[in-house]
Amino acid sequence: MIRFDNVSKRYEGGFEALKGVNLAMDAGEMAFLTGHSGAGKSTLLKLIMLMERPSRGQLLINGKNLSRLHRSQIAYYRRHLGVVFQDHQLLFDRSVFDNIALPLLVSGYQQRDIGRRVRAALDKVGLLNKEKSNPMQLSGGEQQRVGIARAVVHKPRILLADEPTGNLDPQLSAEIMALFRDFCGVGVTVLIATHDIDLVGRMGERVVTLNNGVLTTEPQ
Amino acid sequence: MNRFGRSRASVVKAAKTVKEGPVGAVQSTVRFSERIESWWRNHRSNARESLLRLTVEPVQSLMTILVIAIAMALPAALIVAVSSLQQLSGNWQNSARISVFMHVDAAPDVVQRLQDTVRAMPQIEQVTYISPQAALEEFQLASGFGEALSLLGTNPLPAVLLLSPRADLINDISGLSALVDDLEQISGIDGVQLDMQWLQRMQHILEMGQRVVILVGFTLALGVLLVVGNTIRLAIESRRSEILVVKLVGGTNAFVRRPFLYTGLWYGLFGGMVAWAGVVLGGFWLASTVAVLANLYQSDFALVGLDFRGLLVMMILGGTLGLLGAALAVGRHIARIEP
Repeated sequence: MIRFDNVSKRYEGGFEALKGVNLAMDAGEMAFLTGHSGAGKSTLLKLIMLMERPSRGQLLINGKNLSRLHRSQIAYYRRHLGVVFQDHQLLFDRSVFDNIALPLLVSGYQQRDIGRRVRAALDKVGLLNKEKSNPMQLSGGEQQRVGIARAVVHKPRILLADEPTGNLDPQLSAEIMALFRDFCGVGVTVLIATHDIDLVGRMGERVVTLNNGVLTTEPQ
Repeated sequence: MNRFGRSRASVVKAAKTVKEGPVGAVQSTVRFSERIESWWRNHRSNARESLLRLTVEPVQSLMTILVIAIAMALPAALIVAVSSLQQLSGNWQNSARISVFMHVDAAPDVVQRLQDTVRAMPQIEQVTYISPQAALEEFQLASGFGEALSLLGTNPLPAVLLLSPRADLINDISGLSALVDDLEQISGIDGVQLDMQWLQRMQHILEMGQRVVILVGFTLALGVLLVVGNTIRLAIESRRSEILVVKLVGGTNAFVRRPFLYTGLWYGLFGGMVAWAGVVLGGFWLASTVAVLANLYQSDFALVGLDFRGLLVMMILGGTLGLLGAALAVGRHIARIEP
């Protein structure tokens, strides 16, 4: 589902964030991406999201070479992804429901479908009673769960998360990780960038580590 | 079924379908007819939401609309003024007349003979005779010199023949001059007056007026474009984070652009409407004064107002300018906001 072939990313100014990265993930697989800050975790995720383009190497998602994807196709490509951000990127000018509905709205879903799917996603993250709230009124953990609901509401094939438990206490973090594992269980490929080594250890999933832009896959 | 509302089997099946299908293609769960319908729905909701958004900051929206309205009302008012004057000069041209003054002491039978001579001339369409007595009465009424005239004892005014030249002669200056020369040769006629020169001058002034309208119109249209463009640019900046999120979840540039284009369209439409209302109200306010003035000049002159067709034109013009201004801003700024 995700394949990096000798991918390097050099930013303007010469900083090399990724050096010859090889990585392969199957559909329905879950993996943690760890490494010190600045090791290139975010860059790797940004390459998958097409927020950045690799300087060298090939990136194949779902068997499709991303370097052949035209600019105008990027929006459509992103509809296959679900992304959870550390700062959750919620919009405070609208309700929880409208935040989660956004991916469906841009993809052109029917209104009744939108209601059904948004509530299903809210139910999944346990926030069904908060759909009319403003995200601003929610706690950090709840906001993050809204972010997760938005990332999965359109049932993406790939779920990416960048430090999804960055600001949460251990118990909330564990709950959120359990959520991710559920998605993996229904066939979604899940890649989570985190520096929370303890939590990663407890999960017992595949771990890939970046060190100064070089990837080392640890044995499972 | 899991809690996410989808059976495991269907997910696996969906994953397989996607594996075979190209990445970046239309998502398989949304049919084409649904996409068209959702596109329409999206347009409707964008139109509604951008209209509602104008009321979120009513003062600022109102100011933008007023600026557009002023910029549109000015050339519109000029057009009204110029076309009113054109109508006026047209009226006069159609009734272009030659005044033939008899000698003051011409005997009535001489006047009658002259009148017959003139009537027989082929270039003349119509002859109106104004006796010295009738001329005096009219002059007393109109000029306010009634008292002074009555002191004179005798009537100082001559008999006058008002001649209407044939229609095909009206715009033929040399033909009219020749006619005037002919009339002056006739004995018993004291003077001939043809007021064409100032009509010609007026014609040129009006032509210049039209050009001024076009010039002012273009300049102010450019102004409207810039005002709308700048307002939309600010709106884009204030919704930057929203644009980023929408692009991250797969919103196309067209999807992001749409609400801003509608905002521009609304600004333009409302600007056009307010401009029309302003010109109409201004016309009403001036109408009574114009009527008094026209009466003093013995004219049936009235301002050519803007009717409902004018409203339509102003709204179409305003809407087009608003949309164009928004398109300029959106084209420049939205592509630059990339996650």
